[in-house]
Amino acid sequence: MDKTIQPLISLRNVGKSFKDGQVRALDNISFDVRPGEFISLVGPSGCGKTTLLRLINGLIGVDEGSVSVMGAPPVPGPDLAMVFQSARLLPWLTVVGNIEFVLSLRGLSRGERSQRALALLGAVGLRDFAGAYPHELSGGMQQRVGLARALAVEPKVLLMDEPFAALDAMTREVLRSELLQMWSRRRMAIVFVTHDIDEAILLSQRIVLLRPRPGRIDEIVDVDLPEPRWKHDPRTLPAFAEMRAHLWARIHDMVRDGAELEELAGAFPTDDGLEKSDL
Amino acid sequence: MTEELAKTPPTRPESSLSTAGGSKALPPAQLAGRARKRRRIERGVVLGSQITIALLVVAGMFALNAAAGKLIMPKPTDVLNQSIKMWADGTMIKALGQSVTVIGLGFLLSASTGILFGILLGGFRFLGRVFDPFVNAMNSTPGAAFIPLIIVWFGLYTEAKVVVVWNAAMFPILINTAAGIANSNKDLTEMARAFGAKRLTLFWKVMVPDALPSILSGLRIGAAIATVGTVISELTMAQSGLGGLLAAAGNRFQMDKYFAVVIVLMALGTSITALLRFAEHRIARWRVSLREGS
Repeated sequence: MDKTIQPLISLRNVGKSFKDGQVRALDNISFDVRPGEFISLVGPSGCGKTTLLRLINGLIGVDEGSVSVMGAPPVPGPDLAMVFQSARLLPWLTVVGNIEFVLSLRGLSRGERSQRALALLGAVGLRDFAGAYPHELSGGMQQRVGLARALAVEPKVLLMDEPFAALDAMTREVLRSELLQMWSRRRMAIVFVTHDIDEAILLSQRIVLLRPRPGRIDEIVDVDLPEPRWKHDPRTLPAFAEMRAHLWARIHDMVRDGAELEELAGAFPTDDGLEKSDL
Repeated sequence: MTEELAKTPPTRPESSLSTAGGSKALPPAQLAGRARKRRRIERGVVLGSQITIALLVVAGMFALNAAAGKLIMPKPTDVLNQSIKMWADGTMIKALGQSVTVIGLGFLLSASTGILFGILLGGFRFLGRVFDPFVNAMNSTPGAAFIPLIIVWFGLYTEAKVVVVWNAAMFPILINTAAGIANSNKDLTEMARAFGAKRLTLFWKVMVPDALPSILSGLRIGAAIATVGTVISELTMAQSGLGGLLAAAGNRFQMDKYFAVVIVLMALGTSITALLRFAEHRIARWRVSLREGS
């Protein structure tokens, strides 16, 4: 908790509504992300997790408050890279072509592009699949390409929107440990959205717990578990169990306070601005 | 990273597949041989049935000819003789050339203008909304309805026929292109935006390629309409080309001649469709294999 380090991302009293103000998505959200920090946003459906990522990415603007990334309002671009729940690869490009595409957005020369794309594919263990088309890969491999694509632009911040939620349990486990290893090597900041509490504890240094409708911060928790975690699985530690119990207790409190986690879900018509995956 | 993966093969479903049932299953060469054999038999059955149907049609023509006379149905051998004669004396080649010119020019015009306006109307939502009723009105009106007007404006000859084809084939291409672009995958455009793609890049590198399958299916519809439009214009305007031959033979009840022309039209239509399918395979390979894979 070194207060002297300038925060990389800083949110101050952020509010956001959709549907001409009818649906309040976020209310009074404030937190900082330090350089190199792994932070998770956790919460039940409808708490605005994905909306927060979009705001940090600069894809949408705030209604109230402010978001700043490296001291300025965020602009979509190479400093911020996003990994989505589905890999979102361009189906008409090969695997290596997909990575070269985002590198071309950065203005790299053709030679540099293919060199770096191949290096990144090597890093996620998919070098042999460089010439394959996305639909020829399994879901886990596609998500690896999505990760390689995000890392290729050498972002200061990696934004991840439930990247492992659609994968099977085993693939998810492997990719989590790969992610932790990448992070320990590159040390970019990661903002990781998930609804899986175990995953959040397992991966992150800090957890922002959100409550739904409107999305508000419930609690920000530091995760103090021994590093590196891909070597020592923290799930057997009492500290892990304690944190898990604590977070679940908070979620149960939300339910007792009348937060309807499921019933309301269908009541909101989906809209571009709303979180399709969350609703 | 790669080493880490190699140590944990059971967690990768794609690698565990090949080893899973290895002990019980047949050796792969034998399995592949069986599958090949089954496919060969299937192909044989399909082809055999097709030949049988074709022979039945020819036999039916002979029977109808014997029962009802050559005005109702020409003898297939007469059709063959007439075909040989028409190909040999150049009437067929000349007519085919005239028809292909009209189809080709009309289709090229329809494709280029249809795709261009489709991209504009699909890409700019405002333009799309403004022009939507007019495009729909034009598309819903049968192309033949404009033939009298086109005759007054452009005359009776090749250029007027090209205009008939253009007017009929452009709108389906335009509508398919516009719909393909307007409905391009929002997830992909958001991805590209998140990585910093600007409007123009987004449009040409994401939305247009994403719309390509839709554009190609518009082109296929357009080509079919272009063929129909060509024959109609040749029948109703200055008689020329294959349509002209059809009218001439039909009016004189020369059914053998008439059938000879119909066969050429069938072959022409089939080869145009085959050509476009080939183009689709080449341009949108990913899409075709997607469809075959699922």
